[in-house]
Amino acid sequence: MLKKLVTLILVCLLAVSLASCGGSSTSGGSGSVQPILIGHEVALTGGSALWGEAEKNALDMEIEKINANGGVLGRPIEIKRYDNKADQTEAVNVANRLVADKVVAIIGPAQSGVAIAATSVTEPAKLILIGTTTTNEKVTVDDDGKLHPYNFRTTIIDPYQGLVAANFALNDLQSKRAATFIDIGSDYSQGLAQHFIDVYTAGGGTIVTQEAFRSEELDYRAQLGKIKDAGVDLVFMPTMQKEAGLAMKQARELGLDCHFLGGDAWASIELIELGGAATEGCFYVNLASLEDPVLKDWVEEYKTKWGKEPVMPNPVFAVDALYAIIAAIEGTGGTDPDKMAEYIANLKDLKVLTGHMSMEPDTHNPTGKSAVIETVKDGAFTFYKGIS
Amino acid sequence: MFMQTLVTGVAVGGVYALMAVGYSLIFSILNFSNFAYGSIIMLASYVGYFSLTSYGMPFPLAVVVTMLGAAALSLLNERISYSSLRKRNAPSLYFMISAMGTSIFLENMVYATIGASFKAYPPLFTQATVKLGSSTIGKLDLFAIIFSFTAIFILNYYINHTRTGIAIRAASYDSTIAQINGVNLTYVIGLVFILAGLLAGLSGVFLGLKYMAYPTMGWITNKAYVSAVIGGLGSLPGAVVGGLILGVLESLVSVYISSTIRDVFSFSFLICILLFMPSGLFGKYLEEKV
Repeated sequence: MLKKLVTLILVCLLAVSLASCGGSSTSGGSGSVQPILIGHEVALTGGSALWGEAEKNALDMEIEKINANGGVLGRPIEIKRYDNKADQTEAVNVANRLVADKVVAIIGPAQSGVAIAATSVTEPAKLILIGTTTTNEKVTVDDDGKLHPYNFRTTIIDPYQGLVAANFALNDLQSKRAATFIDIGSDYSQGLAQHFIDVYTAGGGTIVTQEAFRSEELDYRAQLGKIKDAGVDLVFMPTMQKEAGLAMKQARELGLDCHFLGGDAWASIELIELGGAATEGCFYVNLASLEDPVLKDWVEEYKTKWGKEPVMPNPVFAVDALYAIIAAIEGTGGTDPDKMAEYIANLKDLKVLTGHMSMEPDTHNPTGKSAVIETVKDGAFTFYKGIS
Repeated sequence: MFMQTLVTGVAVGGVYALMAVGYSLIFSILNFSNFAYGSIIMLASYVGYFSLTSYGMPFPLAVVVTMLGAAALSLLNERISYSSLRKRNAPSLYFMISAMGTSIFLENMVYATIGASFKAYPPLFTQATVKLGSSTIGKLDLFAIIFSFTAIFILNYYINHTRTGIAIRAASYDSTIAQINGVNLTYVIGLVFILAGLLAGLSGVFLGLKYMAYPTMGWITNKAYVSAVIGGLGSLPGAVVGGLILGVLESLVSVYISSTIRDVFSFSFLICILLFMPSGLFGKYLEEKV
């Protein structure tokens, strides 16, 4: 009996100690004034946790400043943050919890497919959802071309990213024969590849082969061998950094010596850690760059506060989303979701972290955002060129 | 092209085989599928990573430390999660649920303590390749294949030609009768978990070197489990053959049919095997144990 009791106590202690490591954190002032609750759907564990943590840090830093300056409409802001693990099912659970928490709007998720899943809960609840790096156009406009009235984004969309990538491949890399290599379980990957193919073939390039793998797969040598055999000068691989790093490593082992081009999801130091020397000279489209002069002061501030560089591009778009929500609360003088949504849809030249943001009312996409091409040089990410 | 596909398939299959043997070993004696095995491999991969980086051990020493560490974890897994169930003669379904719980616990423990980021091993076999006729194979792969098969061979010898090996085999046929004949079952089961743990350590290092260490890497053992089932759960040669068949089949399907339907194909293959040979290719017995 004693043994069982001791085991029980140990298990309880372990659970409590683990719970205190993680869990949802809240920030913001307390006091007699009711805080304004803003939800944050973010991946704090799993493969996307690096960006999630950067979003969390950036938002906490920004909200601390806002609350120190008296908050919004005299009320402090409080973040309700839950981990969605960048997983569709978890995202729906988190959205349900945020609805129950009565938040006025949600920042995130950062992944298109995850945001689309969360919409099934947030839209009936009339909850504003502002995706951070949700570049798939279906996040704001569904398959039938119908607008999701409460969904917005603060980033560019995949057709634009695909266009930038394809033009870069055709003009800067002089590519004629390309292969696409995608994650079959990801809306982002499939969508971006299709936009790339459309522009690339229209520009005179040939897509020689289209290969795919399943999320969580680690060995791509069979597909890469086929790509090598097809004779290509470029592989377009719009996947996460983990797969891209491994694929480049395996490709070099097989003697596949062509350009690798990717999308914004590559922008994590893990790409270089996993791929090593094989990533040297690869290119990818990014949504924002650490070297953007507009962000210089903010990056410094972030580094001072958190002791490391922000993982781009998520944190800046999360902060942009926060600004849009605050502008809507101040502009409408309250938290009515319909009024706020209408206000955000018609935003004009709002000063945000990445510059000035306007919103297209019929697509809920921001205008005036630009993209950059980055590369890996001497084992570090380097700005290659800006595209606006 | 065909040769290269075959070589790649064998390289992938070799790792499946190594892990499948671990699954089969435990199944053969406890008659349940130890789904926590993937998590033990994952932890082993972290042990290997930290031995090489934080403690700066040379590679051979790191392999030994990882194997011993994984063996200890595997034994701990048995003593904490299964031994009390075993003493109460719980049905194997309970073992499986306990295994799943252990697996989820370990995965989340890594999230909460080490974190979710991917840990890349230091480059020990930097992209070096060996030419085999017209095809190439990575040095690491070659090394992994040789090492895996040597380990499996030694294990097979141990089980078939030593006294303890005979005890293990006896217990796998009928644990009650073996006990009546003086086999200490707790000892034998502990030993089996240690052996499976040693293999898990080896797999963990190879997986980490080849890919990386991260909390959900246990997922890859699903394929190893499928290999074990194709070969016949409980049969060691079956696990090896199953792993190789699956590895080669996957490579061939990716290249000659389509990489998008690779998993559809390999799992359909599994269903077909089970339809016609319900106990797998080398399955030993079909009848219920009474």
